[in-house]
Amino acid sequence: MTREEIVEAVNTAFEEMEIPREELTPEKEFFKDLGLDSLDMVDLMISLQRKFGVQLRQNEEIKKVRTLNDIYDFFVKLDAQRNAGDGSAK
Amino acid sequence: MNGGRRVVITGCGVVSSLGNTPEELYSRLAAGESAVRIMTEWGTRQAAAPVDLPESEIRSIPRAKRRFMGRVAILSALAGRKAAESAGLSEEEIHSDRTGCVVGSTIGSTTEMESSFRTLLVGAGVAEMSPMAFFKCASHTTAFNTASLLDIAGAVYSPSAACASGLQAAGIGMAMISSGIQDVVLCGGADEVSPLVSGCFELMEAHASTEGQPPDRIARPFERGRNGLVCGEGAGILVLEEYEHARARGARILAEVYSYSSCRCPGSVSQSDSSSILRCMRDVYRQVDFTPAETDYISAHATSTRQGDKAEADALRAVFGDSVPVSSLKGHLGHTLAASGTLEIIAVLEMMKHGTLIPTRNLEEVDPECGGLDHVREPRPCRIRRVLKNCFAFGGINSAMLFGDVNE
Repeated sequence: MTREEIVEAVNTAFEEMEIPREELTPEKEFFKDLGLDSLDMVDLMISLQRKFGVQLRQNEEIKKVRTLNDIYDFFVKLDAQRNAGDGSAK
Repeated sequence: MNGGRRVVITGCGVVSSLGNTPEELYSRLAAGESAVRIMTEWGTRQAAAPVDLPESEIRSIPRAKRRFMGRVAILSALAGRKAAESAGLSEEEIHSDRTGCVVGSTIGSTTEMESSFRTLLVGAGVAEMSPMAFFKCASHTTAFNTASLLDIAGAVYSPSAACASGLQAAGIGMAMISSGIQDVVLCGGADEVSPLVSGCFELMEAHASTEGQPPDRIARPFERGRNGLVCGEGAGILVLEEYEHARARGARILAEVYSYSSCRCPGSVSQSDSSSILRCMRDVYRQVDFTPAETDYISAHATSTRQGDKAEADALRAVFGDSVPVSSLKGHLGHTLAASGTLEIIAVLEMMKHGTLIPTRNLEEVDPECGGLDHVREPRPCRIRRVLKNCFAFGGINSAMLFGDVNE
């Protein structure tokens, strides 16, 4: 996937939580700026799991993300690892 | 009359298959409409009476609150908000710790339960279950979500008594006000339709057959050819208030609640019993200073089941004979289960305003087993001052309430 496709897929997941597209700028933090809480983040992760075909529950890296840009970077890296076929994507 | 503080109804909110305002509900009942149809979207031949709820109305609930709500809680919360607005309660009064909320449903959201179990058992498993599933499926989802939308600070209770839930909620609210625990209580019931619930009634052979009859004809309380009920969905919430509290704030009083009773039906948990229904009705009259014959209207439970309608008719005949008009709204609305008690009370409040009794729909030929009563079979002008509302539930739960004009 290209970075643009990844950004689009992630933004769509946030839009499905009724956050307007115009608020989805890369520097925004989920809790502080977008008004999400921990329960929302679980739902968001489930949505992202489905969109990207991955399991995230045991993933320690995803727990460190704080901004939209962090999530974009996370999936760009994940996609690169999958394409490299090193098995660490899951 | 019962020794405690007096309780009046100062507001009501309804979300129903025949309208989302009391006025529209009455208008469509008076026009003889039925909301029962084949649920083609289920992919089956099952019939039900669903609510037409615009997405805009659902989205009027902020996402932060709505994410915890399945359909039944959405119905309940919307009706609760309408009720609070109808009562003209100020923000201070709504958020007072003297204002409570008692709302029940048969179970939590059946639609969400089905979705969750599909994910759990057939899909990806618990890893893909939403954390919101618990809140949507919990038995008290209607109570806490209605209270959440309105930011209620008082007592919150959630009677889960199937078809008697709403009326039990009103009875509990009445007791809370009468005893001084609360001054205002939003109370009632809600339920949603689903293939699961309709299917359960089919398995018990208590659901009306959809063969050979158009769907709007199959719910036929007291009728000779009746063969079961049809599920409906909706929510009915009343604002009960202490009488002096209502007068002090200049509230519009819709009616006074005179008495309430509930008792258990001995024996089977799946069959009605006329002797315990009789006991329940006699108890509500024990608490007041007028006789059964001085009642103007009976809003029957009568769901169109063979056994249930007969049991209720036997009890009504013993208490009233043919001296008091009786009808059931299940032919129009289907059986809205937990919502039925308070939703139908709201319809009766409109009947009182218009001075007209709504007849039992589809009552072409009164079953002789249900005879000997004054069945309302056409719209009937009537000065309605005192009303008996009955609700009887699986599990052997009987409930009855008397309400009517304010005693000045």
